[in-house]
Amino acid sequence: MAEILQIKGLTKRFGGLTAVNDVGFSVHEKEIVSVIGPNGAGKSTLFKLIASFLRPTSGEVLFRGEKISGRAPHIAARKGIVRTFQETTIFKNMTVRDNVVIAHQLRSRASLLGFFLGTKLAREDEKAFGRSADEIIDFLGLASTASETAKNLPHGYLRALGIAIGLATNPTILLLDEPFAGMNHDETMKAVSMVRRLRERGLTVLLVEHDMSAVMKISDRIVVLNFGEKIAEGSPQEIQQNPKVIEAYLGIEDDAIGY
Amino acid sequence: MTKPSKLLAVAVFLIAVFILIPAIISATGRKDLYYTLTSVALLSIASAGVWLTFFIGRINIGQGAYALMGGYVSAILVMTYGVSFWWTLPIAGIFCALASILIGWPILRLRGVYFAMVTLVLTEVTRLAALALPITSGAKGITSIPLPGPLTIFGLTLIPDFAVMGNVRIAFYYLAAVLMTLCFAGMYRLVNSRIGKICQSLQQNEELASSIGVNIVSLRLIAYSISSFLGGISGAVFVAATQSVYPSSFTVTDSVNFMLNCFLGGLGYVFGPMLGTLVLYFGWNLLFETGKFQLLIYSSCMIVLMLVLPNGLLSLAALLKKKNHG
Amino acid sequence: MEQVIANGLYLGAQYALIALGLTLIFGLMNVLNFAHGQMYVLGGFITYAVYSQLGLPFFMAVLASGVSLAIIGAFMERFLFRTVIKRSHREESTMLLAAATAFFFDAVALLVFGEKQRGVPKIVKGVFNDFGVILPYDRILVGLLAAVFIIGFILFMKYSKPGRAMRALAQDRVAAQLMGVEVDRYTMVGFALGAMLAGLAGGLLVAITGVNSGIGGPISIKAFMMIMIGGAGVVGGAIAGGFILGMMESVGLTVLREYGDVTYLAIFAALMVFLAIRPNGLMGKPWG
Repeated sequence: MAEILQIKGLTKRFGGLTAVNDVGFSVHEKEIVSVIGPNGAGKSTLFKLIASFLRPTSGEVLFRGEKISGRAPHIAARKGIVRTFQETTIFKNMTVRDNVVIAHQLRSRASLLGFFLGTKLAREDEKAFGRSADEIIDFLGLASTASETAKNLPHGYLRALGIAIGLATNPTILLLDEPFAGMNHDETMKAVSMVRRLRERGLTVLLVEHDMSAVMKISDRIVVLNFGEKIAEGSPQEIQQNPKVIEAYLGIEDDAIGY
Repeated sequence: MTKPSKLLAVAVFLIAVFILIPAIISATGRKDLYYTLTSVALLSIASAGVWLTFFIGRINIGQGAYALMGGYVSAILVMTYGVSFWWTLPIAGIFCALASILIGWPILRLRGVYFAMVTLVLTEVTRLAALALPITSGAKGITSIPLPGPLTIFGLTLIPDFAVMGNVRIAFYYLAAVLMTLCFAGMYRLVNSRIGKICQSLQQNEELASSIGVNIVSLRLIAYSISSFLGGISGAVFVAATQSVYPSSFTVTDSVNFMLNCFLGGLGYVFGPMLGTLVLYFGWNLLFETGKFQLLIYSSCMIVLMLVLPNGLLSLAALLKKKNHG
Repeated sequence: MEQVIANGLYLGAQYALIALGLTLIFGLMNVLNFAHGQMYVLGGFITYAVYSQLGLPFFMAVLASGVSLAIIGAFMERFLFRTVIKRSHREESTMLLAAATAFFFDAVALLVFGEKQRGVPKIVKGVFNDFGVILPYDRILVGLLAAVFIIGFILFMKYSKPGRAMRALAQDRVAAQLMGVEVDRYTMVGFALGAMLAGLAGGLLVAITGVNSGIGGPISIKAFMMIMIGGAGVVGGAIAGGFILGMMESVGLTVLREYGDVTYLAIFAALMVFLAIRPNGLMGKPWG
């Protein structure tokens, strides 16, 4: 499959702190790639860089050969790189359905003026968005909550809503920020199969996660970060046997126990 | 509200504004009320602009600057270049919109108090510019501005010359009322359309809005320019009605008042600025009878109102609804 | 040149006192105290009343101003702002309340003290004339008193229990609560303290420039400009802003006087550009 995302020499410094240091890898179409690493390894920062919410100190992100890094965040979204957020970030005061409908903005063919005037194209857009929103809500199992105000949703549904918002934009690559966080085993398995179904829809998925078993189950390839640097890349089997990875995680365990 | 009740409300409003009020005024002979109500209508247009800035999450205490700008543009075009007032109206608005894009570009990314303070400074800057620039004739301002001429399109006189009208005040009242109605109709449509939802998304979560492809910078500029357009139009008509403009025609106090009108009516409601302007302006005028206690009573009432209805007057409707349902 | 600096220094000290009060309130409550200028005016009037009318010593009069404003500030926070903050949907609603209180104080000042400019007899006679600087002793005294108050305030905030509590609150409300800081009480103390500083500044300056009921608004705007320059919510920013504005006024009064309004226009425009580049002022904390 073709490479659609290329990350080259990506570095981000905050004052004296180097959060991400010369990280590079590629993502192929319809792949599921996971980025893992101990806490503080720079995964979140990397994500923000890829989705263009942060400007790299050096290096670049190329999407289908076009430079994405350094441009405004909504441009990355328009090109097809869409991220979901780690905190349960949704539009709190809108209903679930409205959240998803509004997220279709990128798909609109009518202009803002068209929406103001209520032109035929605008009305067609709105109808299409409604249908698409309903489909996405069904896909993610949110149908029962469609008319709830988002801030009242139980925790488990909030993450699904976040993904629904991401899907509404019709992305090519979906960046999932810790999609399995805080889930028990059953919930995680359901989420894992949902991510697989995302790939079946034609999406490429890049995710950041801590839950090792989920990551091993779902990923085609895994990239491992530690202290902002890439220390390994490969299939789940390769990563599980990689001594550097084991050391990085074991080192952390030792710290936790207090050695 | 359901559709039929909405239509009813609109009908009631139109009848009240365009038929009932003139009837009452001619019956009671209180012709001075025309000027008061014209002022209310025009000020509510400027306040609507400020409300729109709130809608994209900014505190705008600079609308007075654009009202002044609009007023001067209209006055200068009429006096120096003999342009018909009716043309100067949209030109003033567009001038302000363009100026606001220039000004808004660097400052709209400021938030909260910082943006508010810059806009406060803006009002002062405009006043000083009016004092200093030669084109605005400095402190003596521009006076004896002729009344608006006729508005003719293709030989058809849509609006007769104001100078030959028997009662000019009624004419200005109707002009202001029409503009106010158009303004709020447009605002209502904007807020309830997809654009309104996008602005709400911007208010609720900027990052998320970005991630779904909303161009935040551009959206803010558009909203701010519409807001300033409204300010300019309001100022232009005001100047035509008072037939003069001075650097002190719109000051920081006015900017603050526009903002207060929005707060009082309720920031969450499109018609908030209209109600807020009405109450504050009328309230202030009515209290004139109390002489030196005017400001004291006025401010005390405002304080009490804030304690009871901190979300504005129109939030009363929402509270009543809750009481009926819960 | 030295004259300009000397003038700027004593003015700056006064202004810093005003700015400190405003920034404290903002840092604690995210509220811009529109009535700050009016509190200053009330402070001036109270000192006038106690010193000229009652004949008590100047220092006592100034303290009287401070204490009265502190009480007023506490009252305002407890009964007005707390209620509105709890019940309103949007943070900015407190602005309307603040503006209303500003009008209220304006009205009270007008009613009680009238429109006339009030001044007090010179507190210290004589003029310092040396090193090319001419500075009346009373201005030096007032400047020193202001500096004393400022230093006292900084020490209080740094080392006392209420001071540390308030700093914790200003930094992170939730964390402070979790650590056991009584939010309500210290917010009230903070507001009272902020008001007190305004009152003290007013009391001090009435001895130099006098006071009338109309200057409340313009003083508020000056105070806003100070924290715009220096940055809101940070002690250092307020002091910097105060001194910078003091210096700018001193320079403007002497150097640019001939050019009139254009110079203020230029200063304002420069301020807008400055803010566009450094939106949080020199050291301010970001909003929200």
